[in-house]
Amino acid sequence: MSVGFIGAGQLAFALARGFTGGGGGGAGVLAAHKITASSPDTDLPTVSRLRKMGVNFTVSNKDTVKSSDVLFLAVKPPIIPFILEEVGPDIEARHIVVSCAAGVTISSIEKKLSTFCPTPKVIRCMTNTPVIVREGATVYATGTHADVEDGKLLEQLMASVGFCTEVEEDLIDAVTGLSGSGPAYAFTALDALADGGVKMGLPRRLAVRLGAQALLGAAKMLLESEQHPGQLKDNVCSPGGATIHALHFLESGGFRSLLINAVEASCIRTRELQHLADQEKISPAAIKKTLLDKVKLESPSLSVASAGKVSLFTNKSKKD
Amino acid sequence: GAWSLVAMEASELWVGFVGAGRMAGGLVRGLLQAGKVPASNILASAPSDKNLDAWRELGCRTTHCNLEVVHRSTLVFLATKPHILPGVLEEIRPAVGPHHIVVSLVAGVTIQTLQRLLPPWTKVLRIMPNLPCVVQAGAMVFSRGSNSGDEEAALLKSLLSSCGLCEEVPESYIDIHTGLSGSGVAYVYLFAEALAEGAVKMGMPGALASRIAAQTLLGAAKMLLETGEHPAKLRGDVCTPGGTTIYALHQLEKGALRATVMDAVEAATNRACDMAKD
Repeated sequence: MSVGFIGAGQLAFALARGFTGGGGGGAGVLAAHKITASSPDTDLPTVSRLRKMGVNFTVSNKDTVKSSDVLFLAVKPPIIPFILEEVGPDIEARHIVVSCAAGVTISSIEKKLSTFCPTPKVIRCMTNTPVIVREGATVYATGTHADVEDGKLLEQLMASVGFCTEVEEDLIDAVTGLSGSGPAYAFTALDALADGGVKMGLPRRLAVRLGAQALLGAAKMLLESEQHPGQLKDNVCSPGGATIHALHFLESGGFRSLLINAVEASCIRTRELQHLADQEKISPAAIKKTLLDKVKLESPSLSVASAGKVSLFTNKSKKD
Repeated sequence: GAWSLVAMEASELWVGFVGAGRMAGGLVRGLLQAGKVPASNILASAPSDKNLDAWRELGCRTTHCNLEVVHRSTLVFLATKPHILPGVLEEIRPAVGPHHIVVSLVAGVTIQTLQRLLPPWTKVLRIMPNLPCVVQAGAMVFSRGSNSGDEEAALLKSLLSSCGLCEEVPESYIDIHTGLSGSGVAYVYLFAEALAEGAVKMGMPGALASRIAAQTLLGAAKMLLETGEHPAKLRGDVCTPGGTTIYALHQLEKGALRATVMDAVEAATNRACDMAKD
């Protein structure tokens, strides 16, 4: 089985690293030479890292499609329609097209591809960056023409880089809010915890190391325990001790509600962006200028609508 | 003599109350409803008849004389107001003997103080009950003084378990118990009132809302006690994804309810400590 990535940025790199076992987790599930990644932008730092890994790199998205069975669309959401327009003619019934783009629905992808291929196999997935160290959290939803086996194939791939399970598509936005954005919440917490350590006298490096290990250990305990996190918390809090004093501060600051708010905000924003995309309201400013120029070079039939709005999901191209 | 208190029939036990206020009334009602001690074995003293009428209606004997209570009882509960107690102890001290068991309900008066004001060999215990003892759903903690042993502790526990939860603790926990459960019932009343008000706002009649609020608290507490599950787990069990409960809980978290409750328990506990020092 060969895997292709349209896009050679953080996501492609993280997944490629995880699949090849390069993340320090032992043997991978896929040899690097079975992976192809493409991007018009060869200056990305991830490009050289992918090359070093032994992944085949090309500037031609079409080449990636041709040499892949499982094709990951690993570009930012606003770019997806351009990619689909470009590689659509090369998509065959055998391909499993996996979109990792937040807020991009299965139906929008199927609609776009159906002009080229009557029964495109589409799977939508939401993963997160810790796939890089094979501790990702991934969910996927299968499209109209993707079989159970196709879903299982993707699940096997993604399970090699962490936790993976199938969900109904309407839950994916919530997953984005929780585990998609989740690592960012954790990094923020870890930065602050380290600050606390430094304030109380620890050297920065040690503080970061200890904070990260504390969170890692706690997460591991929770995953391996039958107990409720509330119970695990209680187990750490000796009466009148240091921990309960600290927790009181967290509660006073509304720690819990802040986290609930964060998950909610990320989920709602994902839905907003999806809604904007569906209504074809994303402005070109949202798309990196250089990348768009390169995409235009590759596909002269595409153009950006004037009047500041990009037509995302129609095949009509307005001339500049 | 060497009596075995535990072997003693409850009906042979003579129980006295010095002070007949609300807390004492709660305990005696619990004792009577559980049938542990016949009312005729109970003698209570108070300066006026105001409180004593209710005791007589229960079948207890009453008096205005504190000394009489001590003379005629083995187990003596001290249930006066804190500032009255030193004077009362001065008064009854001559009548206190080695056969007596003195149990103080008086808030803020330490075992050390009690032992200082009573004869040095006196068996002293200190108890902190809470109001729902009246309906046999109380929460009580007690500590023993230097001369009280396992027998006295066992007697007290067996008598008062009829009023609710009764546990022996180190004396340092008693102020915490005040903050958690003594005052704690008031926090629950406040919460019940607020729940009902929310319902009234949404259109439910007040009386019905109040009864439902109370039953909700009762039911939730009963499940906690009977399942032994962690409250966080029980909370999670009620929260269907995207449902009403999780929306409501989010509001509670936004209001930092947890921290506020912790603040309340802390404030009451600290106040109890401060008052004890006065």
